[in-house]
Amino acid sequence: MKRLFHFVPRLILVLALLAMFGLVREPVEQRMRARLIEANLLLPPPAQTAFEQMSQSAMMGTLGGLRTLVATYLTLEAFDYFSTKSWDALRQTYQIIVDLEPRDESNWVSAIWHLGINATANMEYNDRLPKFERERLFREYAFAGIAFAERGIAQLPDSVAIRLQLAEIYRVKLQDNCATARVYGDTIGRPGALGYVRRFYGYFMARCPGKEREAYDYLISLYREGKQQHLPTLIKEIKNLEVKLSIPDKERIPDPDPDLPRPAPQSQPSTPLPGGIMVP
Amino acid sequence: MSSSPPTEKADSRVQTRHVPLFSLGRVLTITSGTVTQLFRMKVFYFLFAFALVMVAAGNFSLPATPAQELSTIKKVSFGTMDLFAWLFSIVATALLIPRDQEDRTLYTILAKPVRRIEYLLGKLGGVLCVVGLSLLVMGTICAITVGFRESLLVSEEIGAMQADGHFAPDEVNQQIDLIRHQGLRPELALVVLAYFFKAAVVAAVTLLLSTIASSSLFTIIVSILVFLIGNAHALATGFWLQESGNSWVVRIVVKVVKVLIPDFQIFAFSEGIVQGEVVPYWLVGEMGLITVGYLLVFLLLSLLVFVDKEF
Amino acid sequence: MSSSNAAVEVENMTKVFPLGLRKGSVIAVDSLSLRVEAGEVYGLIGPNGSGKSTTMKVVLGLMAPSKGSAKVFGLDSGDIQARNEIGFLPENPYFYRHLTGEETIRFYGKLCGMRGAELSARTKELLRLVDLESAANRRLAGYSKGMLQRIGLAQSLVQKPRLVILDEPTAGVDPVGSRQIRDLILRLRDEGYTVFLCSHLLAQVQEVCDRVGILFRGKMRREGTLDELVAVEGRTSLTLDSVSPELLAEIHELAAAKGVSVLSEERPRTSLEQLFIQLAESEGETRS
Repeated sequence: MKRLFHFVPRLILVLALLAMFGLVREPVEQRMRARLIEANLLLPPPAQTAFEQMSQSAMMGTLGGLRTLVATYLTLEAFDYFSTKSWDALRQTYQIIVDLEPRDESNWVSAIWHLGINATANMEYNDRLPKFERERLFREYAFAGIAFAERGIAQLPDSVAIRLQLAEIYRVKLQDNCATARVYGDTIGRPGALGYVRRFYGYFMARCPGKEREAYDYLISLYREGKQQHLPTLIKEIKNLEVKLSIPDKERIPDPDPDLPRPAPQSQPSTPLPGGIMVP
Repeated sequence: MSSSPPTEKADSRVQTRHVPLFSLGRVLTITSGTVTQLFRMKVFYFLFAFALVMVAAGNFSLPATPAQELSTIKKVSFGTMDLFAWLFSIVATALLIPRDQEDRTLYTILAKPVRRIEYLLGKLGGVLCVVGLSLLVMGTICAITVGFRESLLVSEEIGAMQADGHFAPDEVNQQIDLIRHQGLRPELALVVLAYFFKAAVVAAVTLLLSTIASSSLFTIIVSILVFLIGNAHALATGFWLQESGNSWVVRIVVKVVKVLIPDFQIFAFSEGIVQGEVVPYWLVGEMGLITVGYLLVFLLLSLLVFVDKEF
Repeated sequence: MSSSNAAVEVENMTKVFPLGLRKGSVIAVDSLSLRVEAGEVYGLIGPNGSGKSTTMKVVLGLMAPSKGSAKVFGLDSGDIQARNEIGFLPENPYFYRHLTGEETIRFYGKLCGMRGAELSARTKELLRLVDLESAANRRLAGYSKGMLQRIGLAQSLVQKPRLVILDEPTAGVDPVGSRQIRDLILRLRDEGYTVFLCSHLLAQVQEVCDRVGILFRGKMRREGTLDELVAVEGRTSLTLDSVSPELLAEIHELAAAKGVSVLSEERPRTSLEQLFIQLAESEGETRS
């Protein structure tokens, strides 16, 4: 009986053909990988640091093509650390999460919010620590949040949500008006940025020492856009600057009509999640 | 005796059926036999486990925005579907040929006028049918879970915004769009297709291994290892091939492994779609072509091993 | 050797199995030649490991000979056309346990290219032949060993092959089931099928085979018709019914007068197998 490949050891032949196929497909797959990464459909491999920090099961999952599933599981774990106020464990977990899913904006936003807002708030009121330690940790977590934000912006250069969360740290926690203004300014014009970002840029610039003139010019230009911009805070900020910069009377804007109905003041949550969801 | 005789006389030849070079009918017979076999082996019971995961995922309650919550549910659902699909693909394929061999059912099939390529194609076809069907069922369960939660979250959000009273219709729509972006979108069907591509390549690789191996357990273990290594292609390139500190031995070993083992990582493009990225259809088409390439090559290699295998 | 009327023709066939690196090899079949004529029942007997199954697998095309050739109705056994001529029942067949008896026959029929009314008619016919009509819709997982052998025989016949190869067809089957299979083999011979049977159960082979080959350590030791193989030269035995002691004495005297010595005198006995079957049948009748 004539048999195919009777004299060739099967396995060697198979391996040789497999290698030939591998050499042919390699450039094709490399091109495909580049296109998929360009289309944001495929992620570059996780950073080496992510692997060093990962648990064995997470590592296996990642290798098994289950990055998303592992990252989601770790997100749930991070919520657990949040509820037990284990901030260092939370920070480490988020470092892995963002390495696994660097293109998921919500991971970055949550990491910044947890560290920059929640962890710092916890330090402000943690009576079990001495004051000096509380203040040191407060700054450490605030800057950890800022570091996440900078990495996030490098990954997602147009992200508005990351910038707004970063601005919150500067505004609420560090009370750095100049940095707050810089972040709001950087947010203007990016896709999805709402109108208030421009006003906030002006308001915080107005409170940044040395930037009053620039802020005045900017706010006036907003004011001149029309009635939709004649909001009480905007007018108040311009009025303050007119006094501070000794603007001549004839150049000053008119006082607001005292008879105009004013909207009721709205209480802003101190630790809002993106989308305005309150944390219980 | 009621059986009709094959011959009138022992020495007279009867008209024998012609055996064509290739018969789709025989392939389909083996395919449908394999589907029936997997059905009756109750392999679909794993779908209950999947449904349980979905129920758990559908009831996640996180301190997060509705969009984030929906995104988490979606990622858990689709990630689990992916895991189940490739794992099922390996186990089902690994069970078929070695089991036929162990049970000697293979003798009776190959003793009939069946070409070995027809047998392999039929078995692979059967596994792919079952994997495809399972993915459709899992996809439907996912769609129901995500869709139900999405409609719930949307109506809650609209209610909350309307109760607040100071949001303009445009702002409400913007917020709802944000939620819907993480909800049930038609592109998610492409995710199911992507999982099918991956599972099909996994099945073809397992088929090759099962023709070389003689036991199901060995095939399953080696296939899972190959799959894990296949997911580390880009990683291997970055860590070992581009690092100057590695010896040439390490580089050669990594290169050989990369050449021999399929790159499963490129099939993870589905993760991008799950996260809401826009997917160009031509890219999915090209991934389909790559899948077909893998299937053809691995089928031919399996045949090369199987064609003169003695039982 | 002429191949004009041969169902199976094995010529000078050797099969060697390598045992891996540095372990050498084992010769399973050594220069075997055999010929099964069309229409006969040929029994290949030998102890376990004598090379029977290997020979059968070569004839079926499941293995290639290391040397020599194997032909089925003039076709190389590796040729797929030859498979149309062969029906095969392996030893202890495990068919798909999830299929019913009827589905099993239909499955194998479809593999042979049969479809529609032809396949349905043939399936019914075979179920009747092997007496499994009542179990046709039961899954094979619930079949007894004898039933499995019978459904195996049915599937082997589905495409109306001219040659049926049976590997230890009654292995592990109880005597009643064994006899059913034996009867089926005899009926197949009557129908004109060629049967090539492998067994180590000598009594079974003796009952059904026209010709027998004895294989031992891969070599054919003896081959011929049953009479040729078992006849003892120069001796004859008589079995008499209702013989009186007087007549018996006369026969002894006559033999002595002619110079012939009577070597033994005994009452014929039934075999244990025969006795078992009689009891089983009478038990069955009583119950029904």
